[in-house]
Amino acid sequence: MATTTAAVTLTSDLLSDAMSVSASTTCMKAGTTADGLDQMEYGYVDLPTGDEYDLVASTPTASKGSKLYLKNHSTDETYYVAVTQNAQAIGRLYGGDWMFIPADFHDAAADIAITANGGTNKICYALFHEGTVLVTT
Amino acid sequence: MATTTATITLASTDLISDELSLTTTATLTAAGSSTGLTGTSGLGRKKLASGHAAYTLFDGDDYTADKAHKLYLKNTSTIAAEYFEIIVNSEQIGRIYAGDWAFIPWMANASTNDIKIDPSADDMVLEYMLFTDD
Repeated sequence: MATTTAAVTLTSDLLSDAMSVSASTTCMKAGTTADGLDQMEYGYVDLPTGDEYDLVASTPTASKGSKLYLKNHSTDETYYVAVTQNAQAIGRLYGGDWMFIPADFHDAAADIAITANGGTNKICYALFHEGTVLVTT
Repeated sequence: MATTTATITLASTDLISDELSLTTTATLTAAGSSTGLTGTSGLGRKKLASGHAAYTLFDGDDYTADKAHKLYLKNTSTIAAEYFEIIVNSEQIGRIYAGDWAFIPWMANASTNDIKIDPSADDMVLEYMLFTDD
């Protein structure tokens, strides 16, 4: 099986005591420890302002253990991309920010969409999944 | 100014022919500025007992809208089939299975945009921390 690990470390001096939180997971298919996510889409795009775009063109299998990494490589701190799913606002990724979220794709409308603000944003993404519903031409 | 950083490493030696090794660090700053985030919930744990249902972890009403809040979540379960469904308002974002974690930007752009978690089984424990932008 493919083995993909995702690790995070959060550090901060916000609190009186220095904080450091770490976690690591092996990206598995839904509900199993025997088989890892074995498919990936990876891309880097310039995202112009004005329109909302679906980040993932295909439709990964619904309600699985898919994981989405997204980073805004813009260097202007005022630039951001708004991230939505199925028209529900989730959050903003400003220049330099990244996110790593589970992606349910629970039905055909549950696309992850992004909209650039401030100027053309540079976006890197990776989707780890266990299958897609391909769109016929 | 407080400095909070978030570092992710994605690695695999056998997913594709070339080795995958990606590491990046973000310094968490307020929306549209280089000033560090100034608030946090601190690291917490929540056990959801029997009769579970979608539980409101953070209420959109309690946070300034359209900001650069960041949320860390981890499913501490060791049972592979157990997951938390993460929900914003009523939209199912995704599932974090046993051992999985997530790091999510949150706009809190409407009072209804609560962060909710729905465990798949009783007595599951979630670890969480919110970094807030005002």
